[in-house]
Amino acid sequence: MEQDIEQKGYAHPEALVSTDWVAEHLSDTENIRIVESDEDVLLYDIGHIQNSVKIDWVEDLNDPLVRDYLDPEHFARLMGEKGIGPETTVVFYGDKNNWWATYALWVFQLFGHENVVVMDGGRVKWEQEGREMTQEVPSFPSKDYPVPTRDDAQIRAFKEDVEKHLEKHGPMVDVRSPGEYSGELLHMPDYPQEGALRGGHIPGAANVPWARAVKEDGSFKSADELKEIYEGEAGLNQGDDVIAYCRIGERSSHTWFVLKYLLGYDKVRNYDGSWTEWGNAVRAPIER
Amino acid sequence: MSRQQQIAVLLQHYQDPRYQGILEDADVVMPGGSPECGGSVVIYLIGEEGRIGGLSFTGQGDIISQAATSMILEQVLDEGLSMDEVIALDYEAFVDRVGREAVGSRTRNATLGLSTLKSAVRKYQRDTLYANSSEPARKAG
Repeated sequence: MEQDIEQKGYAHPEALVSTDWVAEHLSDTENIRIVESDEDVLLYDIGHIQNSVKIDWVEDLNDPLVRDYLDPEHFARLMGEKGIGPETTVVFYGDKNNWWATYALWVFQLFGHENVVVMDGGRVKWEQEGREMTQEVPSFPSKDYPVPTRDDAQIRAFKEDVEKHLEKHGPMVDVRSPGEYSGELLHMPDYPQEGALRGGHIPGAANVPWARAVKEDGSFKSADELKEIYEGEAGLNQGDDVIAYCRIGERSSHTWFVLKYLLGYDKVRNYDGSWTEWGNAVRAPIER
Repeated sequence: MSRQQQIAVLLQHYQDPRYQGILEDADVVMPGGSPECGGSVVIYLIGEEGRIGGLSFTGQGDIISQAATSMILEQVLDEGLSMDEVIALDYEAFVDRVGREAVGSRTRNATLGLSTLKSAVRKYQRDTLYANSSEPARKAG
């Protein structure tokens, strides 16, 4: 039987909203902006939740030149264009168990937009419940969004942070597939530029593939089930300073969300350089 | 074609893919992409006296990667392209054919099927070359 979010024992249940909640708030476009963020870039075009806008991780959130996220000026402009003000509650949802929705949420957090939630179950749950979708792209009056300060230090780890973390044997979670973790899979065939010269994982990192945190309907597992995985199996403890990583930092943003909001870990950082940086770095230590 | 028309064509291929399935007697089975990120496909190729005798694919992933794989297989088989002509196919021209406005920044997804097909053809050509060149050696031995 489906559990309500409040019954799942999360440290911060307020970080999630249900599909029912979203359905009831579709018209509150003054205070709430629903944002679809997908891996499959055409899904929004073929149908989306009424009054939702699309934010694409490549075209909207990444810097087009430098390997980094957009700068504060561009973030403020993007928010203004989407009709999002500093006080707007942003509800993220997307495909692949909210993989890209949590990634977008993580980027929003870099800019201090704290008023963010995820629709539990994401796009697949909304579809499976037979809820209405539309191809109509909404248009909202643009809002004045003051240029924010971007603070990477709290939730983002750079390579030098990981090196320091490694020296003190800090806990890390590699959220890639077992084949990537073991070094069996280096990169996608024919796309070596997106891969790494060396395979394996950062020494000491536990392997918890990111999607283990969700159930078949796309919604998050209960806190007890998550604790069994991340604490029982991977050996993390409440109060740990944890770094999560994957290939380019997107799958690990999902695990970052789980640890920070659902299990209440205060110090969790996402190493977005991830394996494409570590596996190519000269003399970076690797374990297989 | 407008972006919406391009999306409609992609969606049509995604929902009704051409040449999808496993060729049991394939000479080459070539995987490409990643099921974890974007999409993945497997190309099945049968060679017939150096020409393409059969092609199919299986795969999973986003609309662009799966639909574009269906489109490239349809193009190759309908136009009867030779293996060398497949190798010579231009990635940029193929993205134009798929629809650049719909593909946007996801050109890698759009060319996944074509690049995997080229890998399959190259493997077939290498294997055939090796078999032909090693045959006299075996006879001499």
